[in-house]
Amino acid sequence: MKILIVDDFSTMRRIIKNLLRDLGFNNTTEADDGLTALPILKAGGIDFLVTDWNMPGMQGIDLLKTVRADETLSSMPVLMVTAETKREQIIEAAQAGVNGYIVKPFTAATLKDKIDKIFERIDAS
Amino acid sequence: METQNNIELLEAARALVTALEADDEQQAQIHLANLTLAQESELFHDVGTLTRELHQSLSNFNVDSRLVDLAEHDIPDTRERLNYVITTTEEAAHKTLELIDNTLPLSDSLKLTAQNIEESWHRFRMREMGVDEFRSLSEEIESYLPNVKKHSEQIHENLLEMTQAQGFQDLTGQVIRQVISLVGEVEDKLVGLVKIAGKHQTKRPKDGNEVDLIKAEGPQINKDKPNVVNNQDEVDDLLSSLGF
Repeated sequence: MKILIVDDFSTMRRIIKNLLRDLGFNNTTEADDGLTALPILKAGGIDFLVTDWNMPGMQGIDLLKTVRADETLSSMPVLMVTAETKREQIIEAAQAGVNGYIVKPFTAATLKDKIDKIFERIDAS
Repeated sequence: METQNNIELLEAARALVTALEADDEQQAQIHLANLTLAQESELFHDVGTLTRELHQSLSNFNVDSRLVDLAEHDIPDTRERLNYVITTTEEAAHKTLELIDNTLPLSDSLKLTAQNIEESWHRFRMREMGVDEFRSLSEEIESYLPNVKKHSEQIHENLLEMTQAQGFQDLTGQVIRQVISLVGEVEDKLVGLVKIAGKHQTKRPKDGNEVDLIKAEGPQINKDKPNVVNNQDEVDDLLSSLGF
């Protein structure tokens, strides 16, 4: 299981990476916005995408839409971890096909809970 | 003053009429010149008043030379200060994360060895352990104890360093407080300017541009906004209401 973490703040990438490692996900890679994430995703080998919303270049919501529109990537599980908390944004993300939505600041337990739920749903379908 | 002027004007006009009626061209010219002069002096008076008003307005702007100062010096300085906040908080976060990275393996190794020893010790107490095994357990305990001391010391040191790394809050807090006071000052000046410039302005209708509801805004400081969720539970509730 290889996870791509996309966030423009290196500290947040590091926090997510460490928490994921604690949950047993040791294989992670990083990108600092949608534009740098896309080539990594397209190169293949990524099984799970964790992305922020508000980033320079390509924002997380656009990355999500691009991923969903790409034939080879469309089924990729996407977890959004963001400080964006407007209802309209959460609804937009849901409609764009996000698999989980975590608001910052978040706890390790929330991260685990959402990832577990995403896999439960994937296993069920 | 004005009445005096009018009387003089009236007298000059009458004299002009009299001269014209008397067909005295020379006198008429003189009175006409007097009249024109009076007119001109009134014009000069008006120009004087205008000049004074203009001067006053310019002086008012001069009082606000602080605005120029703000734009030329304080705002760029603030940009630098805010960048300092980003750099300092980033450094502190990385420093802390680094210390955590160094500490976790230490506590993990203490825990793991203690677990092994505990299991062996239990078997020893239950008399389930042979001599050789007991010898190796003794060696394990012997090497574990100095490790406990060494690792604990290192963990203690790391925790102290983590504490020190939190010093950024004081520094960045001071900078942010300065920025808040600067923003307040700019706001006051702008309100003053709007008052001066806005006297003759009528309200302009709002642009028809639609607000982008999903535009990224970063953390919401005002949690009372009706369209903002306040925590993960509210996010989950919203998503589940959408069939998630």
